[in-house]
Amino acid sequence: MAVSQGFKTDLLAAIPSLRAFAMSLAQNSDKADDLVQETLVKAWDKHESFQPGTNLKAWLFTILRNEFYSQMRKRGREVQDSDGAMTGRLAVHPAQQGQLDLEDFRTALEKLPEDQREAIILIGASGFSYEEAAEICQCAVGTIKSRVSRARSRLQEILQISGESEYGPDSIASQVMGSNAA
Amino acid sequence: MKNDGERPPHVSDGADPLGTNSQIGLKLKQYYAELVSEEVPDRFADLLRQLEQTPAASKKG
Repeated sequence: MAVSQGFKTDLLAAIPSLRAFAMSLAQNSDKADDLVQETLVKAWDKHESFQPGTNLKAWLFTILRNEFYSQMRKRGREVQDSDGAMTGRLAVHPAQQGQLDLEDFRTALEKLPEDQREAIILIGASGFSYEEAAEICQCAVGTIKSRVSRARSRLQEILQISGESEYGPDSIASQVMGSNAA
Repeated sequence: MKNDGERPPHVSDGADPLGTNSQIGLKLKQYYAELVSEEVPDRFADLLRQLEQTPAASKKG
């Protein structure tokens, strides 16, 4: 069956998002673009299995993600140091007055294990719901939630962000430090 | 159709741990928006054009 023009247009429109997700996973633009290429070919071949009206972006992300992990397995997995050694060497400095350098952030993101990184990207950046992210990652919604939460704590730890109240008076700190305890 | 501008998507849920009040959430969106806004190499449009010209019958099997 011929691939419809609309499908092709939608694929084209999804490329920027696919590249962003691929970059987040692969951390390397050549690998990312290869992933996107492979994803487009697969999507094209399997277009009949896509149900019109459902979320094409989620469908494509699923293909890309599967491709990423299958390539990683084939390659014997380039080991990512996500357990401390690297984190120790990572130049960190306390976030100054709510300022956080994007480069530092990127470096910190790279230190996360893939499962946590993809979860926090899907939820916090790609705009997927927990349900959609769970479908893309083929796991339970609760698993996504806990990965996002661990990713977030880990990033805070690496970037030395304490809590999430940088933009205002820290209510807990003021409670602790406040002298007006009645 | 999605607007892939540089503006991070609005998160209406104030309790969202990665929402606009979260520094991590903001950076995440900024990081991603930068990636999304990168120029797409021509190879992908070329690829789709190629796929389009490949007779579907050859993919049987």
